[in-house]
Amino acid sequence: MTGWLAPLAFTAPWLLTALVLLPAIYWLLRVTPPAPRRLAFPPIRLLLGLENTEETPDRTPWWLLLLRLLVTALVILGLAGPILNPGERLGGTGPVLLVVDDGWASAAAWPERVRAATDIVDRAGREGRPVILLTTAPPAAGTPVAASDVLTAGEARARLEALDPKPWSTDRPAALAAARATAAAGPITAIWLSDGLAGEAAQALTTLLQRAGGLTLVNPDTGPLLLRSPEGDGRALVATVVRGPADTQTEAAVTLRLLAEDGRVLDRQDALFDAGARSARTRFDLPLEARNQAAAVRIEGITGAAATALMDERYRLRPVGVVVPETGDQVQPLLAPSFYLEQALAPFGAVTTAPLADLLDGGDQAAIALTDGPGLSEPARQRLTGWIEAGGVLIRFAGPLTAADPDPLMPVALRRGGRSLTGALSWAEPMPFDRFDPAGPFSDLTPPPEVRVSQQVLAEPSAELAGRTWARLIDGTPVVTARALGRGWLVLFHVTASPDWSDLPLSGLFVDMLRRTVALAEGVDSPAGGVALPPIVTLDGFGRLQEPGGTVRALPAEAGDAVLGPRTPPGLYGTADYRQAFNLGDMVEMPAAAFDPPAGVPVRGYAVAETVALGPWLLAVALALIALDTLIALGLRGRLVPAFGKRKPVAGMAALIVMLGAAGAIEPATAQSVPQIRAEERDLLAATGTYLAYVRTGNPDVDAMSQAGLDGLARVLTARSSVEAQGAFAVDPATDELAFYPLLYWPILPRQPDLSAAAVARLNAYMRGGGTIVFDTRDQPQGGFGGRGGPRGPAAERLIDVAGSLAVPPLVPVPPDHVLTKSFYLMQEFPGRFEGGDVWVQTADVAVNDGVSMVVIGAHDWASAWAMDAAGRPLRPVVPGGDRQREMAFRFGINLVMYTLTGNYKADQVHVPSILERLGQ
Amino acid sequence: MDVDPAPAGRLAAAAHRLTEPLPPLLVAAERVANTVALGIHGRRRVGVGETFWQFRAYMPGDTIGRIDWRQTAKRDTPFVRELEWEASQTVHLWRADGPGMGYASARAAGSKRARADLLLMALAILLDRAGERVALLDGENPPATGRSNLMRLAAGLAAPIADRPHDLPTVRPRLPAHGAVVLAGDFLAPLPEIEAALAGLAARRQRVHVIHLLDPAELALPFRGRIRFHGLGRMAGTDTLIPRVDSVRPLYQERFEAHCAGLAALCRGLGFRLARHTTDQPVESALMGLAQGLAAR
Repeated sequence: MTGWLAPLAFTAPWLLTALVLLPAIYWLLRVTPPAPRRLAFPPIRLLLGLENTEETPDRTPWWLLLLRLLVTALVILGLAGPILNPGERLGGTGPVLLVVDDGWASAAAWPERVRAATDIVDRAGREGRPVILLTTAPPAAGTPVAASDVLTAGEARARLEALDPKPWSTDRPAALAAARATAAAGPITAIWLSDGLAGEAAQALTTLLQRAGGLTLVNPDTGPLLLRSPEGDGRALVATVVRGPADTQTEAAVTLRLLAEDGRVLDRQDALFDAGARSARTRFDLPLEARNQAAAVRIEGITGAAATALMDERYRLRPVGVVVPETGDQVQPLLAPSFYLEQALAPFGAVTTAPLADLLDGGDQAAIALTDGPGLSEPARQRLTGWIEAGGVLIRFAGPLTAADPDPLMPVALRRGGRSLTGALSWAEPMPFDRFDPAGPFSDLTPPPEVRVSQQVLAEPSAELAGRTWARLIDGTPVVTARALGRGWLVLFHVTASPDWSDLPLSGLFVDMLRRTVALAEGVDSPAGGVALPPIVTLDGFGRLQEPGGTVRALPAEAGDAVLGPRTPPGLYGTADYRQAFNLGDMVEMPAAAFDPPAGVPVRGYAVAETVALGPWLLAVALALIALDTLIALGLRGRLVPAFGKRKPVAGMAALIVMLGAAGAIEPATAQSVPQIRAEERDLLAATGTYLAYVRTGNPDVDAMSQAGLDGLARVLTARSSVEAQGAFAVDPATDELAFYPLLYWPILPRQPDLSAAAVARLNAYMRGGGTIVFDTRDQPQGGFGGRGGPRGPAAERLIDVAGSLAVPPLVPVPPDHVLTKSFYLMQEFPGRFEGGDVWVQTADVAVNDGVSMVVIGAHDWASAWAMDAAGRPLRPVVPGGDRQREMAFRFGINLVMYTLTGNYKADQVHVPSILERLGQ
Repeated sequence: MDVDPAPAGRLAAAAHRLTEPLPPLLVAAERVANTVALGIHGRRRVGVGETFWQFRAYMPGDTIGRIDWRQTAKRDTPFVRELEWEASQTVHLWRADGPGMGYASARAAGSKRARADLLLMALAILLDRAGERVALLDGENPPATGRSNLMRLAAGLAAPIADRPHDLPTVRPRLPAHGAVVLAGDFLAPLPEIEAALAGLAARRQRVHVIHLLDPAELALPFRGRIRFHGLGRMAGTDTLIPRVDSVRPLYQERFEAHCAGLAALCRGLGFRLARHTTDQPVESALMGLAQGLAAR
């Protein structure tokens, strides 16, 4: 039935037999003229005998006949369910065995895979063949890999829709065993949606399926990407991406995002694959504050657990303690050695300043800097030694007191006294550093010549002195010496930490030397060994964070014992104090060679031609033609001419039928519309009254909801406050004047188009001129603006892209003392239709427009919560619901309008007493 | 607009009457009649009446009782007081009935029956004001004057069709001779039948005014396209399918004019006045013509 037009098939081809009825219909139509109009007429006597005065056609005109036959044919064809691009037949015999790789490597193009699988199932359904589904990754429930029962196409489709990629590897040997069991039951036709990775048993599975009745292999065009856990490199983070073996020929670039725990992007860096290279690296170089907030690295634009690397406390900056005397008798803070140390350590370490005993009691310092002082007591020395041996780094500095009486806790023995290279009685000049020893930790640093040492303590010459020396002056005198002690280091700078003895504390070299020294520290210790770590959050196959399921077990304490799988999926494990990241990228290996299927197995890509069901369109055209036929019939009966016929609206009614028919057939249910008003009238009204405004999105449902929402808010405002809001208008920022409106409500759609230059200019001018734009992405359930490093909603992602062209100030979540929390009602939560999630406003240090935020950003779908009908009944339910949430949504709306109208008035301290009184304090 | 010459007292009475609850037809008819008010008119000759006409010298044969003694006392010879003749006419009204009279096309202001009722009722009011006696030609009540008579007329016109099933007038057995009759109808029956009906009236020496009341659509046949026409009243059950009405329109109009011409010839032969009135014309003009025709001798 489809031989003459290959990409067309029918779901109900037997209906086409109705086409043989067309000649009969033709005959019936031909002999039946259109029914005449009946009309009562008193002087009918005078009309009698006039019938045959002229030869008139009493048959249906041939073109009308043709039209009606066409309608009939279209209806028959439409009901027969024609489908464009149905795909070739599956071939073979027996049930269709659909093998789906759903391991981590499939996550990146998962929708494509599901579409391909659904397409195959649809085809099997059309051919009336049952389907057996075999997923090769172990199921999340922990059950073994097994083939499904024999399913109908509908059941298989439902299972496919529920199928998710797994954040662990496929288990091909188990799949091989399952497939062998299935093949033993009878002939099957196999289709393998592969992830393109050559794993163990891949060849064996291919051969088995091919022999069992034929195999089609569907291979992805590009292999997966694997993101390793980032490594710390000083203050920087280095991330490594590995690509599949099939893709190594070309150069390519991927973008990595460093994300904070709340989902903010801290940094974006491109990682470049050279031609032929399997992996690419990139560095994130960040300021301290940002660096310590990093919670995950993700590959931009790629979903999946393999494209996500979580980061735990091991990546945090090293805590460094600076010892100050307990007495605190430092008279001149700027001259105190601890001041210079704090300044030098701050760029890469979390500095704590405390007496030595407190630092040791705190117990979690990676390094301790000890300035010149009287010799350490014996207990203090013992505690310090124990701490160093456990992995700490003690950085000591010399000084007059050390020179006078050095204590034994030194990397090298010191002479009493030291030497001075300057002064009235000295011949020597202050001396610069020599080049650093290539074997030492400072090997990549170059000492600047202007850094000179004028005074130092001297080491006793000894055999091991040379090996313990990290830095020398140009005459060979050691300036920095160090000694490994247990798992830690004891380091001595032979100068003071203040600029008294040298220029070193004033130079950048000091910072670099300290950084490399502190980097030697082991850092935070894991808790007592041997304790399994319970899961905190886990990653799903798409790389989303979620609460661990019931089947997730604790992670073995020893890193080597952990096995990636349903029991221990990637994620964060541990306790509130100590979290350990367990990343997929470290647990799986990318195969070295690409999967090379044996000859004779047909291979194709995932791209499937979109199948189009033509039936509805044919029926729509038929409906339109029927309407046209109605019009023609009315015309033939003289009804269309509004001369004497009493029913003049017939023509209009016919036109209405046509329009309704067309609308009903093609675009159902978008009848809601927004009232239209001329721009000049609107501007005049808006200039003379208080009107709210929203940005027209072009989506009629969203626009109607915005209108209803702002109208509802205006009613509530008028009822409760002295703001007499008249209503709301839709505006187009590209063309309309915005200056009249105190706020502009802007629902963002996931498909929000980019802003034109004119719109950007107007919006920027609006914000500069004191306007507030309320962006509402309305996608809190899909993630909103993220949180816990989770993904953002689609509209939020789009808003971030779109708003990039606007002059949006730096943003923070609404702080508890923000004016928005007290401009009319006292409130801390700002729910709309959805609750939870942050509302973002500009930071307080942007002193423009009285500090009124230029933007308010949320994902709560406020308009839907505000929307009410004429009787004041709400139009949409709130989620999770309740009158209180609706009331709070209205309160937020009132606060918002008050805020935009009155600015920082309520921020004034004058109001604090009354606010406190209302708070009941 | 005519100025109402009626005395103020009667005007006040008329205004008072207007405030009474009147049948809608009466109200509409009075509104029309007010525009054509004529007033009581004398016969401009000596006769039986109440209004003084002339004094004349006593002539032999005059009864003594007619001598006006006051005038006679002023003069030498006796004088007789003569009054103006004020005989009232009897006017019978008739309106055709039947389903055909209910026809109203889109261009018309209303049905032919409604127009005929309004026209005849307004005429009745005018005649009543002039002191004439009015009755329905096929009604039960004798000719009379006065408000109650008008109410009876209105009720009679509104009576159910079944009581008066005729589309042509029938002669009342006790119709007084030399009266006036006003016939309003569409007269679409065959001409011989119309002639037979009208001849009966002519035999009773009536002055007959025929109002040929038509719907504009009946004159013009303005329809288009394929239409199945069906008849009304006596012609009910008859139907004819005209495939294209446009094509038969000239022929139909020709036939219709021939029918009208035949009716006109018939009336002329009987001495009847004939006026054609269509429902898209203003009712006042028809009323005016009718009133003048009745007043003329």
